[in-house]
Amino acid sequence: MARTKFRFVDLRLIAVGLVFVLAWAGIGYRLFRVQGADAAELAQLGFDQRVRHETIQAKRGTIYDREGIELAVTVYGKALVADPSLVEAPEEAAAILAPIVDVDYVELIQRLEGDGRFTYVARRLESGTVERAREAIESADLIGFSFVEEPLRIYPSGALAAPVIGITRLDDGTGIEGIEAVMETELAGHPGKRVVERDQSGRAIPQADFLLEPSVAGSDVVLTLDREIQYISETSLQAGIDRSGALGGSVIVLNIANGEILAMVSLPGFDGSDRSTLDPSTLRNRAITDVYEPGSTLKVVTVAAALEEGVVRPDTPFETPNEIEIGDETYSDHGSNPPVMTVSDIVAQSSNVGTIKIQRQLGNEAHYRYLDAFGLGRPASIDFAGESTGRLDHVSEWNNVAAGPSAAIGYGVGATPLQMASVFATLANDGEWVEPHVIAEIVGSDGGRTITEPRRHRVVSAETARTMRTMLRRVVEDGTGFRAAIDEFPVGGKTGTTDKFDVATGKYSDTDTIAWFIGIAPIDDPEIVVVVVLDSPSGMIAGGYDMSFGGTSAAPIFAEIAESTLHQLGVSPTHNGDA
Amino acid sequence: MTAGALPRSTARRVGAREQTRRRPVVRPLVIFTIAVILTFFAVIYSRISLDRTAFELQRLDREIAAEQEIHWDLRVDYARLQAPALITQRAAALGLVYPEDRYTIEISGMADTVGGPEDRWMDLRALFVEQP
Repeated sequence: MARTKFRFVDLRLIAVGLVFVLAWAGIGYRLFRVQGADAAELAQLGFDQRVRHETIQAKRGTIYDREGIELAVTVYGKALVADPSLVEAPEEAAAILAPIVDVDYVELIQRLEGDGRFTYVARRLESGTVERAREAIESADLIGFSFVEEPLRIYPSGALAAPVIGITRLDDGTGIEGIEAVMETELAGHPGKRVVERDQSGRAIPQADFLLEPSVAGSDVVLTLDREIQYISETSLQAGIDRSGALGGSVIVLNIANGEILAMVSLPGFDGSDRSTLDPSTLRNRAITDVYEPGSTLKVVTVAAALEEGVVRPDTPFETPNEIEIGDETYSDHGSNPPVMTVSDIVAQSSNVGTIKIQRQLGNEAHYRYLDAFGLGRPASIDFAGESTGRLDHVSEWNNVAAGPSAAIGYGVGATPLQMASVFATLANDGEWVEPHVIAEIVGSDGGRTITEPRRHRVVSAETARTMRTMLRRVVEDGTGFRAAIDEFPVGGKTGTTDKFDVATGKYSDTDTIAWFIGIAPIDDPEIVVVVVLDSPSGMIAGGYDMSFGGTSAAPIFAEIAESTLHQLGVSPTHNGDA
Repeated sequence: MTAGALPRSTARRVGAREQTRRRPVVRPLVIFTIAVILTFFAVIYSRISLDRTAFELQRLDREIAAEQEIHWDLRVDYARLQAPALITQRAAALGLVYPEDRYTIEISGMADTVGGPEDRWMDLRALFVEQP
């Protein structure tokens, strides 16, 4: 048998065959890695690149005034976002986008070169900017950029009622002050969830999204505030502050029949839409957080309690020297008193001595019982976050012999403007206390309505309340509150002036005062109670009257607000009641 | 009795007849093949149509979202324009002032004042009642 001769051609065939074998072996190995050994890891990598779990934001509820006008509304703005892992040329992208969306070029490069899968390029973009950025991204074929919607909280009326409405956090839209915070659970709604597949450019692939849980929009909140009355109150208070140089002030306008707060002002205020000039100290709502000694305005509780208990009558006479000593304390009246004053005179002339004498006949126990029944020492409403309880020590702690007399004239007791509004509203409402409230109703996303039903309880009889109103009318007609008079409506009220207590020194100020006027209008058939409080008013008005008193600085503000409010409410100036 | 073999000419005729009978079997195969191909293209076409519709739906969703955005923007603008501060400012710019002398005209039945929560939707409710 002859040996096969080795040929060069065979060698080449073997070489080619070997190359093929190696190539196929390589492909086979790669196939094994991709489809076998690393299959799970690579599949997960692809899944993560393509599929995203996204949160569907719930639209935050709107806050309306009593007429259905938007006070706080959420609209959706656009944010330009990027996935840094997909951005191929961060410097080029930053050079194109930075000038369009007005962000710092270097900072944008740093963000685009980051390790994460998400970064904001720019937020709260206007529609024109969005279009320019979109065109730039498409023309330069930039990959990894997309636009997302983000909620913007808008306050169309600007600073109007801002301390009442409050504000939300910029980053996540959570309410942090005012009604925005109190009603956070109702306003926020519930976010939903979905799974979305996105293409290489970050665009959602149609039909490739899967809804896991739909979002539920937040409830709308309707407030009792009336925008016009709120504006009237704010401008009048601001004018009063400007006149008197006061540090700040509060106003509350309360509907006496149902406890609805028609206006609540706290100045200085802020504009929730403009955070650039926001001063944190202006965030607080002074009408519910600031506690003042109510001074003479609290005398109405002393006198009403004495009348209700049958201790005195309006014409009961009291000897009224200019001073009275109780324990170590000496109480005096401004000016000189007539030797004898009736209870009605004592209220009209705001006599400290006379009121203290009435209180001593009434007794501490009964006095405390009425202070408590009028709502002092506890929050007046459930609608406000951070409402102060004020200060009312239990009668068992009135160890000092001067505690009762001091409380009779409004010292040693702390009250918020809202609490004092509630006291006068009780007298205006024939002796029935009605819980003051600012939330009229909550309208759910399903249309369901939850209407506020205020709590009520009787404090004094209707007869006592009417008698008190007659006395309060005298305060304005021929007493300390004559600057509160309105031509078209009969009004009544009480002035109050207390020395400002300096917490730092623990002493009363010699110069600064808290000036009050609390009035009822019309006094013969009451509709509203208006509380005006000024912090540290000063200066003089024409005639040489000191502005630091409630009768000179706060009473004129009451007159302006009450007159305009009654016009706004459609109360006839020729109204004649039978009180 | 044992059957004898057919003569060769007869056997050839029988085979040809069987071949003639088998020939029509091809037609269903062709039809099936065409049906498969048509189905294949139909599936592709339906998929493309579905995708087109999905893109159309997506476009409509975007348009709805854009219209809703405009709606809310207009509501915000409307509320802004109704702001008393803005009205006062513009009125002052026009030279409007509060009158010194005011006259009150009282219209019978219009003096009811502050209403409760139920009253503020009375207009809307009346409108609903009027609807058939």
